[in-house]
Amino acid sequence: MSASAGAAELSRLLARVAEGDAAAFQIFYDRTSAKLFGVILRIVMERQEAEDVLQEVYVTLWRKAATFDPARASPITWAATIARNRAIDRLRARPARPMVPVEAAHDLADEGPAPDAGLVASHDARRLAEALSLLEPRHAAAIRACYFEGVTYDELAARENVPVGTLKSWVRRGLLRMRGQLEASEA
Amino acid sequence: MSAAPTPDNGLSGLTEDEALAMDYALGALGRAERKAAELRLVGDPAFRARVEQWQTLLSPLDEATAPATPPASVWAAIAAETTAPAPKPAAVAAKAAPAAGWWHNLALWRGLGIGAPVAAALAVVMLAQPGAGNDPGGDVVAMAGGPQLRATLAGADGKPLLAAAFDPASGQVRFAPVAQSDAGAGKVPELWVIEGSNPPRSLGIIDISAGTAHSIPRDRLAGVKQGAILAISIEPIGGSPTGTPTGPVIATGALTAA
Repeated sequence: MSASAGAAELSRLLARVAEGDAAAFQIFYDRTSAKLFGVILRIVMERQEAEDVLQEVYVTLWRKAATFDPARASPITWAATIARNRAIDRLRARPARPMVPVEAAHDLADEGPAPDAGLVASHDARRLAEALSLLEPRHAAAIRACYFEGVTYDELAARENVPVGTLKSWVRRGLLRMRGQLEASEA
Repeated sequence: MSAAPTPDNGLSGLTEDEALAMDYALGALGRAERKAAELRLVGDPAFRARVEQWQTLLSPLDEATAPATPPASVWAAIAAETTAPAPKPAAVAAKAAPAAGWWHNLALWRGLGIGAPVAAALAVVMLAQPGAGNDPGGDVVAMAGGPQLRATLAGADGKPLLAAAFDPASGQVRFAPVAQSDAGAGKVPELWVIEGSNPPRSLGIIDISAGTAHSIPRDRLAGVKQGAILAISIEPIGGSPTGTPTGPVIATGALTAA
């Protein structure tokens, strides 16, 4: 199943979900829950908590299906974004605690694009991975840490022992370059 | 790379909104900043479009995350809460919180995900009876002083939930009445005002149950003006313990001249 065919089918399912179609909702869940659970688990880490968040996310999807607009986002992007946001909300609601063991600090420069490469499948994902690989490694690593771990600028700056302003500019510069790269490769 | 702050660091031309949009989409904001950004998402379509662009741009990253199959118990719980045929209210109440009533339902509207049928019903109740109950004149009558301001507070899906009228002369906000409002369940609604990209500022715990007027202390009135955004979140009794919204934001709307 190609990505666009999958998106079209998921969009049709969501349209039925919006009308209260329970069978369509279950199919939608079967098609998407492993991806969303992976995204949530990666951020909140704890399995029971991830299950709670997943449940919350699908209840939200059920209720918000009518607001899904295929012109604005693909259905899986829409659903995964809601999942990520709920997972990050959960993370933020936790009492403050160290995000990583001390010995894991200062590892931003050591991470590279390699962890993603083997799993990358779609055209968009390959282009994004390539754009990331062209960034300064620290910038790319900071973007990855924020996206995949849900760490805040403050937390990551403390972990990397750099001023928050510096870290923010790494990330923002990286994102802007990445976008420029994607736009250029599209043209 | 120079350790000194660099005036041109590749970020020239980056507007505050664009920076906030990318920070939010990436997920790098702390709790209070996230809440503030989420309130803007509801009330500011241009900002929302920026955020959505970044979300779409970043979303292929999710392909690098290994899928994980959730246990069957999760689907069972979801089905029970959504598609199960006509759940008894008692069963629903027992599952989520030790109380029932209108606010109990609101508390279930996680984050910005608002139950469409409930929202629609409320919109009918509230907008069909503007100023009913304690205000026999229908609409709130402007008092001498500044111009009246109004806001229609809507949920994330754009459906109106509440109509609010603010009278600068008296410092009172009046809400269109809501039937069967019950702030039990250990939760209360709290009103916030947001100016621009500032963090939300509390205007206090409110009672929107019967169209009663809510007086805002004089020292908090400064930001309540045209263009500012009013928002309501659900908080523990006594109000947000942190000074910023901690519970789900159920409705937001911009203040406009009446």
